[in-house]
Amino acid sequence: MSHHYIRFSDVHFSYPHGPEVLCGVDLLITHGEHVALLGLNGSGKSTLLLQINGLLLPSRGEVVVGDIPVSKKTLRLVRQSVGMVFQNSDDMLFMPTIGEDVAFGPRNMGLPETEVERRVGAALESVGLAGFEDRPAFSLSGGQRRAAAIASVLSMEPDILVLDEPSANLDARARRQLIDIIAGFSHTVLLATHDTEMALELCPRALVMDAGRIVADAPTALLAASTDSIAAGIFDTARPAPILAPASN
Amino acid sequence: MSKLENTLISINSLARPATDRTDAVAMLAVTLLYLVAVLSVPLYAPQRIIWLAVYPVVQSEVSGIGFLRVFLRSLWVLPLILLIGVFNPVLDTQTAFMVGGVAVSRGWVSFISIVLRGLLAMQAVLLLAMSAGFYDMCGALRRFGCPRVLVTQLQFTYRYMAVITEEALWMDRARKARGFGRRNYPLRMWGRMVGQLLVRSYERAARVHRAMLARGFDGTMPLSRRTRMTRRSWCFIAAWTSVVLLLRFADISSLFIK
Repeated sequence: MSHHYIRFSDVHFSYPHGPEVLCGVDLLITHGEHVALLGLNGSGKSTLLLQINGLLLPSRGEVVVGDIPVSKKTLRLVRQSVGMVFQNSDDMLFMPTIGEDVAFGPRNMGLPETEVERRVGAALESVGLAGFEDRPAFSLSGGQRRAAAIASVLSMEPDILVLDEPSANLDARARRQLIDIIAGFSHTVLLATHDTEMALELCPRALVMDAGRIVADAPTALLAASTDSIAAGIFDTARPAPILAPASN
Repeated sequence: MSKLENTLISINSLARPATDRTDAVAMLAVTLLYLVAVLSVPLYAPQRIIWLAVYPVVQSEVSGIGFLRVFLRSLWVLPLILLIGVFNPVLDTQTAFMVGGVAVSRGWVSFISIVLRGLLAMQAVLLLAMSAGFYDMCGALRRFGCPRVLVTQLQFTYRYMAVITEEALWMDRARKARGFGRRNYPLRMWGRMVGQLLVRSYERAARVHRAMLARGFDGTMPLSRRTRMTRRSWCFIAAWTSVVLLLRFADISSLFIK
């Protein structure tokens, strides 16, 4: 795939017997962009991410990844291009060892074993887990598990990286490592998060979702400074001054 | 540590090979041969089955698992084995031999034979799963031509045993945290908890399945590198095949029983 872009055209989606969760989403993320997807809980962020590699398909409208429209027929191609990191790392680590987990994607791609081993080594190295190949997932800390989950996606050498709440439940050091890993990914990144500081650091552009719609598409720094009620709710700019702030007199 | 935590640790530990030296394909080949050898010993010759215990005893010690552990786990199937053989002493009362003036019927001999072969067969299968690791064992089954659907079902059954136990563990912790030591809940509440457990496990399974699909899973679990045959695999098979065939066909007990 030569163009690692994501395009949503009037995408609607509703779960069975449920209300519409995506209500006519239009967006274009171009090659190499790092974009944050912000929004309150239940605004439709995760549902939107699941459309990108066809885990959910639109009820109406079209999602195009690279030059490929996402449909049942193109799932294999699309999933080779889009690496998705889920919110809960434990859901991604289901093999007996970290090495097997990281090799799961490349083996499904039908790569030869020597190439699988090379990719496993490189992916674990890039997330700081070199030498963890034979460790079971349950013996790792939360931060290491998150890193392993990311490695399991990086080993597929995706053109587009999609992350759902990657910094949730991480301590400061693990969060910093995660930011460094994502910053080192040179292709397209779409990052759904409540961690606005991470969004500011990693993503020059941000999309804001509310009730299944993209209600803002602007530079992240501009949104952070906005007094708009939705942006203020996301960036928490309406909060009172910290009580431990030094007295001004 | 609670029983559920112990169970979860046991399930998870079964996923990995006991040692990196264990070769799943070779283990499976020897296990299949061993099962045929054990089950083909004549029913009224339990003294010839006993010698076949050499394989589980030696191999469990060599692979670092320990025979006692394998033996104790094999006792899980004892009730089933007893059920299969329990009517033999009643139905087959013909005298087989005398011990100190007491007649031992052919029914008792066949009963002992059934118990022995049942336990040894179970021990061999447990040894395979424990030393090769569950996933490598499944990979080896695929290499032996076992249908893909069956192997995938085995892998999912194993995976979801861990998922259900994990969810049960979290629910149990939440209950204990607010239960203040209370144990005598009404049956209706336990029923609701079981229902909740199934719903939670289903949701978790759906999330795991999504994560697998996102990485190209198409219904077939990829085989690991440990299921490839090496020169050591062939040596292992050759050594144990010789031993098992010798124990099966050479009547060693006749050297001791005149």
